[in-house]
This record gives sequence, C-alpha cells and structure tokens, in this order.
Amino acid sequence: MKAAKFDYVLAESIDQVVDILDRGDGDAIVIAGGQTLMPMLSMRLARPATVVDINKIAELSGIDVAGDEIVIKACTRQAAALASAEVQTRLPLLAKAIAYVGHQQTRNRGTVGGSLSHADPASEIPLAALAMDAWVSLRGASGTRRVAMADYFLGPMMTARADNEVLLSVHFPLPGPDSRIGTGFHEVSERRGDFAVVAAAALVQLDGDGICGHAALAIGGADSVPLRMAAVEEALCGSKVDRDKIQSALGEIDDALTPGDDQHASAAYRRRVAAVLAERALMEALSEAENA
Amino acid sequence: MNVDRNLHYVATKRRVREDKRFVTGQGKYVQDVNLPDTKHAAVLPSPYPRARILSIDTAAAEALDGVHMVLTGAQLAEDCNPIRLGLKLPEVKWYALAVGMTRYVGEWVAIVVADDAYIAEDALDLIEVDYEPLDAIVDPEQAFEDKELLVHPGHGSNVLYHGNFLWGDVDGDFAKTDDSLRFRARWGRSSTVPIETFGALARWDEGTEILDIWASIQMPNFVELMAATLGYPLNCIRLHQDVDVGGSYGVKRGIKQSVLVGYLSRKLRLPVRFIEDRLANMAGSDAHGPDRIFDMDVAFTRDGVIKSIKIRALDDAGAYPGRAPFQLAKPISAIVGPYKINSVKYEAISVCTNKSGQVPVRGFGQAPTNFMIETAVDNVARHLGLDRLEVRRRNLIQAGEFPYQIPPGSKYDSGDYPTVLQKGLDLARYDELLARRDKARSEGRLAGIGIATVLEPGGGNNIFEYLMDPSAEITTFMEGCEVRVDPQGNITGIMGTTTSGQGHETMMATILGEELQVDPDDIRIVHSDSLNALPTRSPIASRMAIMLGSAAAGAAGKIKDRAMAIAAHNLDRPLEQLEYAGGTISDRNDPSRKLTWAEICFIAYRAYHKLPDGMEPGFQAQYIMQVPGGGQLPDENNRVQVYPCFSFQAHVPYVEIDPGTGRVSVLDYAIAHDCGTVINPDIVRGMVIGGLAHGIGAALYEKFAYDEEGQFLSATFADYLMPSVHEIPDVKDIEHCTPSPLTSHGQKGSGEGGYLGAPAAIASAVNDALHPLGLNLSELPMRMSKIEALINDGNS
Repeated sequence: MKAAKFDYVLAESIDQVVDILDRGDGDAIVIAGGQTLMPMLSMRLARPATVVDINKIAELSGIDVAGDEIVIKACTRQAAALASAEVQTRLPLLAKAIAYVGHQQTRNRGTVGGSLSHADPASEIPLAALAMDAWVSLRGASGTRRVAMADYFLGPMMTARADNEVLLSVHFPLPGPDSRIGTGFHEVSERRGDFAVVAAAALVQLDGDGICGHAALAIGGADSVPLRMAAVEEALCGSKVDRDKIQSALGEIDDALTPGDDQHASAAYRRRVAAVLAERALMEALSEAENA
Repeated sequence: MNVDRNLHYVATKRRVREDKRFVTGQGKYVQDVNLPDTKHAAVLPSPYPRARILSIDTAAAEALDGVHMVLTGAQLAEDCNPIRLGLKLPEVKWYALAVGMTRYVGEWVAIVVADDAYIAEDALDLIEVDYEPLDAIVDPEQAFEDKELLVHPGHGSNVLYHGNFLWGDVDGDFAKTDDSLRFRARWGRSSTVPIETFGALARWDEGTEILDIWASIQMPNFVELMAATLGYPLNCIRLHQDVDVGGSYGVKRGIKQSVLVGYLSRKLRLPVRFIEDRLANMAGSDAHGPDRIFDMDVAFTRDGVIKSIKIRALDDAGAYPGRAPFQLAKPISAIVGPYKINSVKYEAISVCTNKSGQVPVRGFGQAPTNFMIETAVDNVARHLGLDRLEVRRRNLIQAGEFPYQIPPGSKYDSGDYPTVLQKGLDLARYDELLARRDKARSEGRLAGIGIATVLEPGGGNNIFEYLMDPSAEITTFMEGCEVRVDPQGNITGIMGTTTSGQGHETMMATILGEELQVDPDDIRIVHSDSLNALPTRSPIASRMAIMLGSAAAGAAGKIKDRAMAIAAHNLDRPLEQLEYAGGTISDRNDPSRKLTWAEICFIAYRAYHKLPDGMEPGFQAQYIMQVPGGGQLPDENNRVQVYPCFSFQAHVPYVEIDPGTGRVSVLDYAIAHDCGTVINPDIVRGMVIGGLAHGIGAALYEKFAYDEEGQFLSATFADYLMPSVHEIPDVKDIEHCTPSPLTSHGQKGSGEGGYLGAPAAIASAVNDALHPLGLNLSELPMRMSKIEALINDGNS
C-alpha cells in the first residue's frame, strides 16, 4: 500500500489550481483533507500524475453568511462546520448530518467540499445538501458556474464537476425569518462512524395554520446517488401532516429507489430500512416544526 | 502450590512494567530493527479464487531500476520444501507462493525485492501473469461432498480430517432420557486482526552461516518449520525473540513470510524485510480463524438436566490448513463446558475450500465450541419453558465435586461455578436488569439479557494432536525458565520466547520477586534468542502464567536452595535451622549468625574455597516445567488429560435491538471471572475486557466474507468490521479466586479471557430479545441486516 509516483504541488491560489487541473488533462487531482484520496492513492486505486494541495489557500476556507444564504467554502473542515454557530442554528440539518460523518479525528481533517466531490452515494453531507436545495460553485479555466445539487450527482463517485474544475463553495439558501421549520436526519450503519448503509434527511416547513408548505426528503445509500423523494414530498405538501399521513406518503418510496446488494445489506433491507428511516426523519422534522 | 502464605507481590495491584515502553513509544517492533542495506519486499496477490498459472513474465519488473529480485512459486518450489502442516497430508502442498495454481483470492503469486517498498510495488505492476480461471470451491458442505472439484487434486478429496469420537453410552443415554432437541449453529469466519500485520526481517550471515531473523512471531515450532522448509539444520537459524509483537492472540504464525525473507536474504546476501500491508494481511496471510458449522443433538430430562450430547462440527480451513484441524481437537479438553454431561459423541470434520488459510485464534477452537454449548443450554431452557439460569444451575458441576473428570478424560482442576455465576448476577444487578428489560419491552423495544457460563482451558498440551494422528506421540509441552544472579546480587530472569502484549515480563518478575523476596521492580527480564533458549512452546494456549510462572517459581526455588547450601556450609549449621529472609540467611536460634545476599553472591562467584564440596561456581538455575497432569497417551477409549487448568467465567450482557433496522446495541455488560490466583490484577483485567471486546466483534461484526464465486469481500477495515470504543459498553467485572492445586501459586490461564464467552453471551442476549417475537438466530456474526430480515421479512 504505497502510492504510485505523482507530482505534488502545494497551490497558493485558486488560479494556480485551475491552471494545473486544466493542463493536467484529467490526470491532476485536488487533495484537501485526504480522508478518501489518501487511501485510494495508497491502494493505487487512484493514480494521478499530479496532486494539487489546496489546504493553504485561504479563500477556500471559511463559512460566510451572505444575505439569504450561507456559504461554506470547499476546504472548510467538517469539524469546523459542525462547531460553527451559524451552521448549528441556521443549518440544523447539515449539523445533524455532519455529526454522523466518520469520527472527530477524521472530521478534523475531512472537508465539506471533499465529501461533496467524492460523492459516495451513502455520504451524509451530499444527502443533507440535496435535501436543503443547496448548490455548488465550480471554477474552471473558462470561468465559474453554479450547479444545483439536484443536477450535481451523476452516479457513484461521479459528479457534474469536470476534471479541470475545482469546487469553490457550497451555498445553502436560508428560509425566511418567520418560517416554522423542522429537520430530521437518521441513518443506520453497523458501527458508529461508518458509511451509512441507508440514511434519510428530511425537512418540513409549516405555515401558521400548521399546513405543510414545503417538505424535503432525501434518501442515501439506496441508489447510485442520493435521491429526493418527490412523490413523498408532494403528498405531504398542502395539508396537515401527522404520522398516518407520513406513512401513507411513504408508500411511494419503493418505486423511487433502486438499491444494490452487498455483503453488509441486501437490496430488500435497504428498501425496507429506507422507509423506516424516512419515517423517523420526517417525524423528527415535523415535531421540530410543530414546536418551532 | 501454597496459596495460604502471605503474598507480597503476587495478587497485588502493581504497575505493569511493559506499559512504560508501550505508552511512551519505546516498544521495539520488527519495523524498528534497522540493518544497513536492508531491502524491502512486496507481494503480488492472485485476483482469482482458483486459477491455473499458465505463465509469469517477470522480465519488465526485474528490469526496473532499484529491483533486486522477483521470485515466483516455481523457483521457490525448486529450492524449498513445502511448509509442514499439522496433519500429515503429503499431497496438500503449502508453499509461500502459489505453485502452478492459485487457490484463493489474495494468494501470493510472486514477491519482489527492491530498494524500497514503493519501487517494489511499482515492479508488481510490471509482472504479467497469464491465468486460466477455474470454478472455485466455496461452500464447505459442498466441499465435503464433492469428489470432482478439488482444492488439492492430488489429495483426492477436500476432506483434511474426519474423525469420530465416542465417550460413554450416548445411545443409551438418549434412549433413557425424556426429551431431546437438535439444532444447527454457525460460527463465522473471523479472526484476531492485530494492529501490527505480520513482519519479518532476515539476514543471512555467510561468515557464521547463521540466518538471523526478527519476526513478529508467536508460535511453537517456528524455527523447526523454517529449517525444514529451507532445508537448513536447526542450529543455522537464530530467531531474535526480543522484538515486541504488536498483537497476536494466536495469529502471528508468519511462517511463509519468514521463509520468503530467509530465502531471499540468502540468495541476495542482503537483509530483506517484508512487512505485510493491510491488504496482503487480510487476504493473503493465511490468518483467518475457524469457520464452523455445528449440528448438535441434546438429550435431557423434563427438568432440564442434560445427559448426553452429539456434536458434528464441520470446519472450513480454507486452502492451506496449517494447524487448523487441531482447532477441532483442543476443545475436547472442555467439550461439555462446565456441565455434568454423562456422554458425548463428537464427529469432527475439517475441509479445505478456496479461501485464505486458517490459523490458530485465541482459544484454539474453544470459543466456537463454547458458543455451541451455551446455545444448546439456552435451547433446552426455551424448549422446556424453563429459566436459563435454573437450567444452568441444575447442570453445573458443584464446588465439592473437583477434581471433576469429564467423559473424554480431562479432570477439571478446581472451580466454584455456582458462586461465580451468582457474583456475575449480583454485579449485573440481575433483578433490576430484568425489570429494565421488561420495561423496554413494554415500551415496544426489543431487549434481551444474555447468559453464558464457560470454561477457559489453560496450560497447553499437545496430546490433542495424537487424538487426530496417533503417530504424533508428543506428551510434553514444556516451558523453561532460567534465573541468573550476578556477582552484585541482581537477579535476571530469562524467558525463551517472544511476548505479544500479554505482560509476561511483569508476570515472571512478580513470581521471582515473590519467591526470592525481592522487589520485582529490581528484577530484569530478558528474552533469549532461539539458539540459546531453554525449551519453550511459546506463549500460546493460555499457558504462560501456568507454565512459565511455575517454571520461574521452580528456578527461584533452586536459586534459594543453592543459597541455603552455601549458607549451611559457611555458617556450619544444618539446613533445617536456617531461615531465608529477603536474601539474608540466618540461624533461627541465633539471628546474628547470618550470611547476607552479597556475601552469598561473593562466595558463589569468587570464593570457590567456601563452596560446599562438589558445587560448581557461579549462581544460576534452570527449571523446565512439564504440563501438570500431562505426559500420558490416551487410553484405549481415547480418554486423556488434555489441558491441565480450567478457568471459569460468567457473562451477563444486556442488549437492545432496533426493530426497524436490526441494529444491536450492547448497553451493559457484567462478567465474573475465576482464573485462580491473579498474579497481576491489571493484566488479567485487560485480558478479560479486551477478550470480551474481541468476542463482541465475533458475535456482531467481524467476518471475512467471500461471495459465491469465491471473491474476497473483506480486504479492508471498511468491510471487515471490528468493534470500536463506541460498540463496547463500560464493562463491570469481578474476580473470584479458586486456586488451582497444580500450579506454583494457584494461578490458571487468563489470556483468552472474555473472548471465550462473549460471543455466546451476546448471542444469548440477542435471542432473548427476539424471543417475544418467536424468533431465533444461531449464526455469527449476527449482522443487523440478518436480524432485520428475521424480524421484518417472513421469507428470509
């Protein structure tokens, strides 16, 4: 488990990163926290010609509140995001999700952008971002573009980011000031800190009469990408929501998922447990919204 | 044995001397031994479970700058013998590299030696192997039946061992008894997976014609196997036993790794180091544990008194069995557990399949056997609608019945099982635990309490080998200890083997200090190398406290005898009139007439004219301990004393299961433990709790999985799941002491610790939780997906 030879560049600017990626012709790769890339390099599953280290670029790190959104820059550590008061109070679903990411030790190194770029289908940060209608900012040689989470995940470990683009930041829209919002995040893994076998992220917004104005449900680990459950969301919106309503809406979840089998769980397990966790996440979100 | 006397150091909470070097990073492992010009090796794994090797082209790899050699199995087989197996299976040829055929995914096909490990791996990429993939033999039951598809065609079948044992009138007992039941239990393919993989460093010295080897080894016969494989005389190989071994519990038997570096070092005339990386270790190290299917019949009265058992154990040894089949034989020493069972039928089968080979794992087959016995007791209780504790109480051997001889001939040395069980229940606050379980159930949760009462045979003995192979007339499993007193009077104890974290240095110093009335902190303990070691069988089989401990006491006794003889001669007093106190020897009637330790040492080393007639100068002693109660061949009914000492433990865990996901949480754990006299409380406690964590892994998480085609699925820690601190609850533990009459201070074995009961206990708890649903599971590991399917999918 020794990496194949590669060139290492400690980048000083985003321009330099973009330049190296562009010239790299698909053979250059960005390293941030290294929590997935390092083992992949060691096992020679990744054999880039060049590894560009973005850890020293100050503009790629930090959390900003900008008007109606919170911007988390790509190289922000997961631990820093979790500890952020802004994230805790204004992006509670993200905070709940990050608490499930690995362990304190890995979160000290792992970055928010790294999770989004790696795009494991069972990963927590992509799942929460998808449920929260976040979008990412990608910078390439020809400029910067924005991609919504709904269009970002293309398959297991595949995203809309081109090889010559670098992820700059992820943008979380903030709800209006008088929203009654609740969130829920539930996952199951054999051991605490493992990749989820299945995970569910939910967000419920109620109006003054307790009518559901907006609902989001995203399921991870039960398909090749994290998925929003549009039919469930539609079934919940526009009426009062309770457990019966949620259970009946979740009848739609089966058709929306195409889980795989592996040694840890069967496809049937993932289907059944997706519904169980979705119900728990929605109930938690509902209860929070009702008490908001 | 004398446990009534006033102990100063034994059984006293004292610092574990090894902790200092490990905690401060001063341990010295194979990786830390640096020799000039050392070269590094890397291995090429087979991607196929079974394939013919048509050709291997190593030219490009050899041409790479920095590469010294590429070795394939064909070349190795020309120069070396196959590695000797435990059973005599001449057509099961085990080489360090695949020869002509690969037999499992990850088997090493070639090895590269290069200037560094990076270059070595670069070279692996350049080796071209032309394989012809073949169908693999994966299922052990099919392997047992199959006559066509064979892992080792020359052997003629996939069966490595098939034996039947009968102790007592099983048919009669089944006929006479009210009721019986039959069940199947399955122990999954897990192991001990230490943080340090196997590593070895070898240097052939042409000047002395000695092959020096440093290896993270824990096994008897290592040097003998090396010598036999390489074709050297035994005294050409010197194993340096003063390297720390970073975890083992049975698995550090890197004979093929050591043969490779030994061979390459002599070929290249350079030191060669091979440290397995995690992938090579998990897939290719031949270090998987037992993988066992038990079919069991139990005959019992309507009161739950178990009279007789029939066991069929089918074990999957993988492609290269090593000593694996013997892991079916050792448990014969405690095959009825702590229970009074009248007769036993035991059918033991070991088969090979296209999987990584099997290695001894903590308990040498006892943990799976204990899981089976405890499952049987729980099943009897459930079948009769009786309380599991009550059924155990009715079957446990009672305190007044020792030594207790079980049907296969072993006598349990001592014990008080009902009292230890009660201590465990008290520690768990059993009544409160029942209330907690029932409250959880009334709130709709699945909750269960586990019970396991199990034995840990300790002390080792090779005689089980004879039960499988009567040509193996091996009736000793000795351990030697040497004690040297230097001219200044300092004491050094010498052990003849390695240590892999069990605290042997503390144990030995404690016993020497106790016997010689010297502060153990002032005693040095060193490890001899294999060429100047006394006879040893290495620190396996929960034997070192029993064997090395008793040998240390014996050697200390000889030192004391020598001092007394010198004193008697110089004080001109009869021995009976002299008293030894902290090294000073004085006349009981006239304490002013005495010889100090310094004076005795001076006489021993310098004053020959003051030595008793015929006494050799110098001050040292050796003692070789024979296994207590061993030394016999089995009688005509295959009855024999296998291990000498029997520790006991009672486990009481509490679990809850999430019915929606099947996930098990171990919320509480109490264990009461009796290993006789505890020499060092912290060491024993570490064994108990560490072993318990290991057992929770085997019960719920750990599995080396293969798919139906034989692909290996558990090559990393993302897929081979070991419990972390989050999965292990705070454990409450208590010791009880029933001294062994067979050892120097009443000590028994404790190294296998909680591992011998935790899998059974957790399985019992899970099944207690599933019981209200009418469900039962008897397959380890009890993964959450399996439990969830049982609960929520009637078809699974």
